[in-house]
This record gives sequence, structure tokens and C-alpha cells, in this order.
Amino acid sequence: MKRRVFLKVVGLSALCHRWLLPEAFAAAQPLVAVAQGKDHARVTRNAIAALGGMRRFVKKGDLVVVKPNIGWDRTSEQAANTNPVVVRAIVEEALRAGARKVKVFDRPCNDERRCYVNSGMTAALKDMKNVELKYIEKERFKKVALNGKVLSEWELYDEALNADVFINVPVAKHHGLTKVTLGLKNVMGVMGGKRGSIHRNIDEALADVNRVLKSHLVVVDATRILTAHGPQGGKLRDVKILNQVLASMDIVAVDAYATTLFGRRPEEISVTVAAYQRGLGEMDLKKVRVVRV
Amino acid sequence: MKRMTLARAFQLFFLLVFLVLFVKTEYRGSDTISAAINSFFRADPLVLVSYLAATRSFSWLLLPAVLTLLFTALLGRFFCGWICPLGTVLDLVTWRIKKSSPIRLLQGNLKYWLLLPIISSAFFQVNLSGILDPIAILVRALTFFLYPIFGDAVRSSWVGMYRLLGERRDHLAPAFAIFRDHLLPFRETFYPLAFLSATIFFAIIFLERYESRNWCKNLCPLGTLLGLFSRLSPLKRLPANLCSDCQACRSACPTAFDQDLLQSDACILCMQCRLACRQKRVKFIFARPLRGGGPMLPERRVLLGGLFSGFLLAGSFRFRRPEAEARLLRPPGAGSEAEFLKKCVRCGECMKVCLTGALYPAIAQGGIEGVFTPVVTPRLGYCEYNCSLCGQVCPTAAIPNLPIAQKRRAVIGKAVFDRNHCLPFARKTNCIVCEEHCPIPDKAIRSEVVQELDQSGRIIILQKPYLVEDLCNGCGICENVCPLDGKSGIEVFAVKDKTPLREELFVTGKEEGKEMVNGGVKEGTYTEDPYR
Repeated sequence: MKRRVFLKVVGLSALCHRWLLPEAFAAAQPLVAVAQGKDHARVTRNAIAALGGMRRFVKKGDLVVVKPNIGWDRTSEQAANTNPVVVRAIVEEALRAGARKVKVFDRPCNDERRCYVNSGMTAALKDMKNVELKYIEKERFKKVALNGKVLSEWELYDEALNADVFINVPVAKHHGLTKVTLGLKNVMGVMGGKRGSIHRNIDEALADVNRVLKSHLVVVDATRILTAHGPQGGKLRDVKILNQVLASMDIVAVDAYATTLFGRRPEEISVTVAAYQRGLGEMDLKKVRVVRV
Repeated sequence: MKRMTLARAFQLFFLLVFLVLFVKTEYRGSDTISAAINSFFRADPLVLVSYLAATRSFSWLLLPAVLTLLFTALLGRFFCGWICPLGTVLDLVTWRIKKSSPIRLLQGNLKYWLLLPIISSAFFQVNLSGILDPIAILVRALTFFLYPIFGDAVRSSWVGMYRLLGERRDHLAPAFAIFRDHLLPFRETFYPLAFLSATIFFAIIFLERYESRNWCKNLCPLGTLLGLFSRLSPLKRLPANLCSDCQACRSACPTAFDQDLLQSDACILCMQCRLACRQKRVKFIFARPLRGGGPMLPERRVLLGGLFSGFLLAGSFRFRRPEAEARLLRPPGAGSEAEFLKKCVRCGECMKVCLTGALYPAIAQGGIEGVFTPVVTPRLGYCEYNCSLCGQVCPTAAIPNLPIAQKRRAVIGKAVFDRNHCLPFARKTNCIVCEEHCPIPDKAIRSEVVQELDQSGRIIILQKPYLVEDLCNGCGICENVCPLDGKSGIEVFAVKDKTPLREELFVTGKEEGKEMVNGGVKEGTYTEDPYR
């Protein structure tokens, strides 16, 4: 009997190894989950599940901040803001994983009241328990030492800094200066002060901020993308429906992959390149494992 | 305070309505404001009469004011004693103010010397009625002075609590949110002319030192106008003079018993006299107009003199400094400057409701005749692309209530780059924050990519912005967000030709929607890409 058990164990473990071994290596290799489908809530959940599920990021009792792009007074179909269905799905997942509270906010470019209402965010998160859709309050910005290449310090939002888990939920869209705007640039929404002035050196400035304010999870909304006249758009002819949601723990990798949705290569996007060179993640898509679900 | 009467109950009710409407004249999550404080102005005969005189046309918006006039001709100055919120405020404070003797200067014909020039100068195209309209005075004092101070005080204590409690303040957030969403001004906006607006308001209260309802009786042009119409009224107070045995009416009456004979055009129907009469002699009855209640019109000298001085007044305020006028940006949809000034009541509602705090009262930009009228000040706030609230609350449609698609195309002015300041031109650094924020779907601000040498002779790629004039509606968000300190690198200037932007430029693309759904757009066709 003992020998049989021994053989079983050895055989099984060998069998497991054949599968487990690449997985172990893969842990070092950045992973981007790409989920596709028309049910955007489900697609979002699938993308997160492919990374190992929300429990990998959110522990019981955690304070979670979800940072979508709610920058503009545009409707969801115009693709200037993150799809509220995607945001709601993420919030639900975080609560299910045991989050004590989920805060959702952005520092919009247009009037914040209109942005929150017209983006669909107010309606999507209405009546959810332990969820707060909040306006930015000036007094909560804190000067943070960035010691970066171009920004030595900047005001960042305390609720984002204090969160146990920071989930970055950009919408994939065109941008006049940076060509595309994705996860790295979405972090501008928690920057205080005259943030427009970082445009003169935006690549390094964004790397500076992202180096300090780490996104634990990045979910890119590509259910529909804005392909021109970004970041605001306004015409539906500039919107392309892809029905995709991407998720990753590697902000550079997921940005790099999302860039290809616009028919561009990651090397063309200097924000991505700068972040890569600063060691914030992997931009070479050959070195990134893409899991489609 | 005097005893509760039906009139008093009405006064308090209308004051409450007034305050509720005032607070509700603000964006509260809906694109439309169903009820605003404009209803008070639309029922205001002074607004109506000056509008008729200035524009020589009628607007159905002012129908309620016609009704007010009709009822005044029937009942007398009930508006002053039952509805006017400024009158109510005076009634609420006057009993605490000790009276000295009335000022002789204010009595007599002075009220006609205020009313008649206002109406006649409106006829000669300078409509100043809003400056002295009692409701406008009250709204301005609230909008420019009291409400911002109240908002700032509450918000500062909220901020102070953060300093004190830090994150723990969040426990109180739901309570504050109710306050913020329903009662407070959303933005802390401070206004020029706040001091002047407050001074006028408090001066009116100060006048209560001399006699009660001093303003209403001796100065208010609306009250005077209503007084003229009240002479037609068949509703009479009997007895028509003081009874020799009692004379209690003299002290009970706030307005009409300076002399032994009741001044029927000053009676505001508060009915305090009936309450005070121990003999129960006082009655209000309908009777045929009796002779002896004073003449229908002021004496000829005053009438003609008042009308003529309005003509002189109209001519004397006309001068405008051209350099100030270049920045005289009117709210979206407002017609020519002359048209706008004929209709604007200077009530300040548009400025209160403006989402981004873009509208401020003019000090001298529009000449003296433009004082208190709204001016877009882009460096402080811009015209929100999808918002049409100012047009919705404007009582006289000086700012027309345009459907949103039309409002987006309405031209406020045109943006102009200042290459001596604009970063890519003046300092060879990339920026294009203005292009990013331009709300026009096809972008009125675009940029060209050029190669230049930097200070050390290296080749750099610069994006230099330029304006597509046909697409610019002058909303001013570019000037607002320009990251330069102080002066912006792009500024909006007034234009004579305010023809709306062409409609076909604003096709949303819904028409092509079918092709687009399911990602039907062909690869490569979707990038209108300036960088390739």
C-alpha cells in the first residue's frame, strides 16, 4: 500500500508540475486579461476573475477607492467617461470581496455635478450600501513629496492616498497631446493644483505621480473607445464599439495593450515609454501574457 | 411685531416662497429648472412697463404682470401689503426700529421724479428700471452679498472641521451633503458690487428710522406705479379720513395717514387700521370711485418734467470705453448689446444660477447704463457647453431660453491667441490644455505639429494651437483653463456678428450610428489623426 501511495503522490505531483511550473514563472510575467462580450458587467467580472478574482486585491475590511474617468459633461455613449456599468461591476466585486467601504470620485474638468449625473455614474451607484460617489473637496489635497524627474512635489488627494486598495478605471480614448489616454494618465484625476501645467512635460510628470500613487488594479474600459477629438469627443462617429474590458496589475502593460486597440504601437506613446523606462511596468507586449476570456 | 392678520399670513407665505425659489434657482441635478425666482419679476408691473417702453413689444412671459396691474386697478396696492418680499422684510424689522420724524425731502413728489424718468428713459432705449426695482434690489442683496457670505461661512466651518477631525469628519458628511445639495451655493463665488448691493438694501432698512415703510411710501418706483393704478380701484376704506374722536389709525397705518385724509394711492391694504379700530368703524367696501382721493395723475409740472428728465437721463449715460467693451461678453443667446440692455432687469438671477460662476455684474464695462448687468468673465468661469440655465431663469428673455442644441451654437465671442503668452509660441513648451477642453466636437482649437529648435539647438516637436473661427462659440473654457498664471494665453473677445455657428457642424453622428454599432467602422477609417 505504501508504495502505491508513494507512486500516486509522485505521479500526481509530476502531473501538477507540468501545469504549475509555467504558472510559477508566469507570476513574474505581467498578465493582461482581455474580456469581450456585450454584457459589460459580466465582461468586467470576467476580466477581474482572469487575474485571480477581486479577493486577490481586496481583503476583508479594506477601504477601496475606485477612480474612473468622470472628467466631462458627456453621456456614456460618447465615450469620454468610463462606462458606469463597468464601474458598478467593479464596486460590486469589491464589496463582495469584503470591502468595508468603496469610494468613487474624480476631479472633473467640467462642472462636477453635471459630469456625475450625465456620465450615468450617479444613477449607476445610487442606493448602493457602503458606496460613496463623492465630490472632490479642495481641503483634502495634500502636498506629497514625489522626488521625481520633473515634479519634486505635488498636491494629491488624501482619500486616494489613504485607500487600502486603489483601483484605476480609465476609459480608453484619444487625446490631443498624448495621443491616447489610459491608466497612467487617469491618475491626473487625483492631482490638485493647476494640473494643466504638467502638460509641458507630461510623460515624465505622469511617471513621477504613478511611481508614488500605485494602482493596485487597473481596469481599462474599452467597451467603446473614443478614436478622435479626445479627450472629450462629442460625436458618435468618433466612437468605436469594442465590447472589451482589460484588467491588469501592471499599469504599463495594460496601457500598452490598450494602445493597440487604436491601431497604434506602445512605442509611439511617450507616456507609456517614460513609465516603462522608469520601471513602472512592462511595455513590450511580447513579454506580456495576454489572457482572453 | 404686529398681530397676525390674513395680510400678514400672505406676506410670510410669499416671503417663504420667495426664499425657496431663490435657493432653488441653482443647478440641483436636472437640466431644467421648473420654478425659479423669475416668477416674481414676471409678475412685476415695473418690469412690464419698462419692457413695453423700451422694446415696444409685448412678451407673454410678462403676462402675470398684466394681471397684477389689473388686480391693482381693482383692489389697490395689495401687492405692496400682501406680496412684496422687500415690504415684508421691512415689516419684520421696522417695529424694532425707533422712529424719529419723517424726512421732508423724501415726501411729496420725489417718488414721481424717480418713476417717471425711469419709464421715459426706457422709452428712449435706456432701461434702468432694474436698478431701483424693489425685488431686484432684494435679489441682488441676497445673490451678491448675503448668500455668498452665508455659503462661505458654512463651508469654512466645514473645512475647519477637517483641520480638526481629519478623516473622521466623514461621519458628518451625509448631514453636510444634505445642506450642500439643497441649501448652499455650490461654489464659493464672490461678486463685485456686493458692497453696493448691500448698501442699497441696508439703506432702505435704515430709512425705517424716520418712518415706517419709508421706501415703499416715498421712493419705490414699483409702489408708485401701483399707486397710480390703485386710483382706479373701487375698493374703498371707510371712513376716508381720521375720526376726530380717536385718530388711532394714524399710528396703526404704516403708509397712508400722514394727513387727516387717507392717501388712497399709498394704502397697501394691510388692514391694520381695521384691527386697531376700537369702535369697529373701519370697513373696506367696493364703491364707485369717489372724488376727493387725490388727482389721477401727478401735477403737470411733475409729469412733464419727469418725462423730460428721462430723455435727458437716457442721453447722459451713453458713453462707453471701447477697451472695456471689447471684453463685454454677454450670456449665450443674448442679442445685440442694445437689445440686451433694453430687456435686462439686472436681477442677478443668471449670475446666481451660472454653474461655473462665469457671470458677474458689470461695473463700468457697459457704461453706467450697464451697471449690474451680467458679463461672462472667462478667467473666473466659463459657459458650460450643455447648460442653458441662465436663459431658463431670465425673467424677460434678455437671455433667451434656447433649446440646448441652439444654445451650444450661440456665439458669446471669439477666442484669440496671445502668442506673447501662449506657451508653445512664447516658451516653446507643449501644452494644448485649451484644445483638450474645447467642447466643440470638431474642436474650435486645433494644433499643428511643427519641428523647432530649442535653446540648446536640439530639434523638438511642438504642437502649436490655432483657432478655427467658424467653430468657436466663445464659451471661454480655453481662457479659463489656460495654465499660465494671471493673464491667459488665449482670451475671448466680444464680436459684433453673433450669427450662430452653422448647424451642420454639430451633427452628433447618431445618423451614422447603425454603421458604427458592433465596431462596424472599418479599420483605418476612424482615426482622423493629425499626428501621422
